[in-house]
Amino acid sequence: MKKSENKGIGLLLLGIFIVGFFLFFTNNFYKSVWKKSGLEKAEEIRNYDRQYEMIVGSGKSEFWQAVYESARKTAEEHDAYVEFHASDMETGYDEIDYMEISIASGVDGIILEYNGEDALKNEIDKAEAAGIPVITIMNDAPDSRRQSFVGVNDYQMGQAYGEQIVRLLDENTKRILILLDSEKGDLEKNQLYSQISNAVLSQNNTEGIEIRAENLAPENKFDIEEAIRMIFQSPEGPPQILVCMDEMTTECAYQAMIDYNMVGEVKIIGYYISETIRSAVEKGLISVTCTLDAEGMGKDCVDALWELKQEGRANSYYNAELEFLGKEDLRKARKAVSAETAEEEE
Amino acid sequence: MNKKRWKDIPLARKVMLAVGSIMTMMLAINVILYGQVNKTIKRMDTVYSSNVNLTELSDSLQRVQEDLYAYLSVKSSDSLESYYRSKQNYVNLLDKLSSQISSNPSRLLEKNIKSMSETYASITEEAVTAKRSRNVEKYKELYDQSRKLYGYINFYINELNSQQFRNNSSSYQTLREMLEYLEISSLVLMVLMMGLGAMMLFGITKGMIEPLTNLAETANLVGKGNFNVKMPRTDALDEVGIVTRAFNTMVESLEEYIIRTKESMEKEQQMMEKELLMENHLKEAQLKYLQSQINPHFLFNSLNAGAQLAMMEDAEKTCIFVEKMADFFRYNVKKGLEDASLEEELTAVDNYIYILNVRFAGDIHFTKAVDESLMDCRIPSMILQPIVENAVNHGIRNIDWEGKILLEITGAANQILIRIKDNGKGMSQERIREVLSGNSGEAEEQSDSTGVGMNNVISRLELYYDQKNLVEINSPGVNMGTEIILRLPRTGGKK
Repeated sequence: MKKSENKGIGLLLLGIFIVGFFLFFTNNFYKSVWKKSGLEKAEEIRNYDRQYEMIVGSGKSEFWQAVYESARKTAEEHDAYVEFHASDMETGYDEIDYMEISIASGVDGIILEYNGEDALKNEIDKAEAAGIPVITIMNDAPDSRRQSFVGVNDYQMGQAYGEQIVRLLDENTKRILILLDSEKGDLEKNQLYSQISNAVLSQNNTEGIEIRAENLAPENKFDIEEAIRMIFQSPEGPPQILVCMDEMTTECAYQAMIDYNMVGEVKIIGYYISETIRSAVEKGLISVTCTLDAEGMGKDCVDALWELKQEGRANSYYNAELEFLGKEDLRKARKAVSAETAEEEE
Repeated sequence: MNKKRWKDIPLARKVMLAVGSIMTMMLAINVILYGQVNKTIKRMDTVYSSNVNLTELSDSLQRVQEDLYAYLSVKSSDSLESYYRSKQNYVNLLDKLSSQISSNPSRLLEKNIKSMSETYASITEEAVTAKRSRNVEKYKELYDQSRKLYGYINFYINELNSQQFRNNSSSYQTLREMLEYLEISSLVLMVLMMGLGAMMLFGITKGMIEPLTNLAETANLVGKGNFNVKMPRTDALDEVGIVTRAFNTMVESLEEYIIRTKESMEKEQQMMEKELLMENHLKEAQLKYLQSQINPHFLFNSLNAGAQLAMMEDAEKTCIFVEKMADFFRYNVKKGLEDASLEEELTAVDNYIYILNVRFAGDIHFTKAVDESLMDCRIPSMILQPIVENAVNHGIRNIDWEGKILLEITGAANQILIRIKDNGKGMSQERIREVLSGNSGEAEEQSDSTGVGMNNVISRLELYYDQKNLVEINSPGVNMGTEIILRLPRTGGKK
């Protein structure tokens, strides 16, 4: 009698335990799912005091992503948030639209990659009139009311490119083509072009070398690709030295060179160092690539805005460091990186 | 014993407790599960309400723009009024938007929409003012600006809407999965609970029913007459315990009762046998008497006639003799079946002695010493006379010396002591034993007796008083006389 009673109580307790455990388990699971389904992920949200806008031409380029990332991190230190806009995004809005939106939104600062349009200059002036400081990046709008410029000036850049071209000159070099990107203004007045041609022509034995600049004004993103293919297919053949001034052009030229089997015949001076470009340079397919210090540029922009806010003024020009990387440089860098990681692993 | 054990709880409460606890657990589980489901459903509701709000915002913005256009093109006070109304409505709706600069894209979009809308509102305001002051150039330009902004804001609202929709869709998906999970888990829980409850109920009812089944089986055994089986002892205070104890008590008392009934039935049987025996003896006595008398009434009447005749002839002695004869026989006949007072018995003895003395011309010297206070005591009838007759017939008849009979009646507290002593032939010890055991075989030799022998007397006394050894016969030896002592319990009369 006693025994069976104990057994019954044991069974009852076991049952209650099972039910309780199941209930506990369900509740816990429910809570975790509940958290996951939350509309706001509270721990990841941060509120900021100030809002900056960054408006560039090519949102997909790794360069601009790097610049933005650096700007965002720097801004975070100043309790500010940077919003990123690019005219090639799916929205269909261009720089002018974004300027207007930014002005109407009453942001605290704008970082703009100037594309040479006069209307955009007006927008810069409008923003300044509304008390929003504008920092141009990469390409300057010198006769606007912009507060600062962060980038390389064309003079400097032309000289640096000239140097690189000179190094690549040989007896086969007949033609040099400089593919300027669309944001550069009038070709004749283009400092970049003139600096490059000066640098080349000042060398010996350079008579007869044709230096030409072409402005790739893309209506849409496939235009660059088409234009480059045209160059490779032209009756006189591609130039011996092809100078690319942006990431997309570099990648297109590289691809076209491989497709038309012209490796060795065409020397490409690339721009920026995306994954594709990096491997191409390491293999020696792209002779050299020019990189700008993306991180430094992003940081400079935000610092300039911060200085303006704090002190009411900022430098009107922040120089971006320019560097040409060849096969050896990249290999060294890679070794250094792997050594570092190996050390870390140890 | 302050702690109430499970087996002490009444059955109804036990069942209530079991069912109640199961139901409470069920209820708790249901409450929890439904709480979760409810929370989930509410959350699902909010998922889409944010989108609805944005649509409302977009519609409101459109109305502002339309009303602005209407006013600018027509300049009616109606359209102005409706412009103000829709603008106010729009501004109210804007209040719900966040104005925080946030890393959350939705929040940031909300903030941008809000600031742009504020700019937009001030531009429309300016446009209205310009229209009023008929500054055509200005209001045209402002209207264009407002249209542009309207486009931007709308674009941002759409952007926000689709972003929220994306978020919400994934939330909705998780919530739906959660609901499905809840469904399954609640089902499993219910099944578990049901199983547990069924087991509990089964256990409890088994605990309640088992003793009852045992009880029924035991009762069957008892019903078949087996009083040795009993339920195991229990100290449970519930109904089953009570019934079990009551059953055990019942079995015990049933056994006792049956033993008692058996005893009393045996006793009754004995009594009936005794009565029958007594009746037999009496019948025997009467029969013997009646055999010797042709017709008592005829005899009495004849005797009475004889007595009267003697009177008429002045034969007084004859008359008395005949009267006593008549009295003696009447007594014999009348008292055959009843008991009698000691006095009546003595009268019968007196009559008998008188008759004998007439017959044997005063040979018998009969003396009696009687305690008068005992005269009303009841004794069986026809006791003393046969003993006296016995003393006469077997004691003092045919002796050479003068025969004497002494009758002595004394009383103790609860006893009547009757002593009949003669100085006749006496009895051998063997004969005494024979007489006392009732094997005297006297019947054949009774030619001159009134018909009632010693055997009969002793049996009747024993039957009447339901006692043995009432009669004691003493005889010192041959020719030394016999003494018969009756020790009778005293019944009736004054003490």
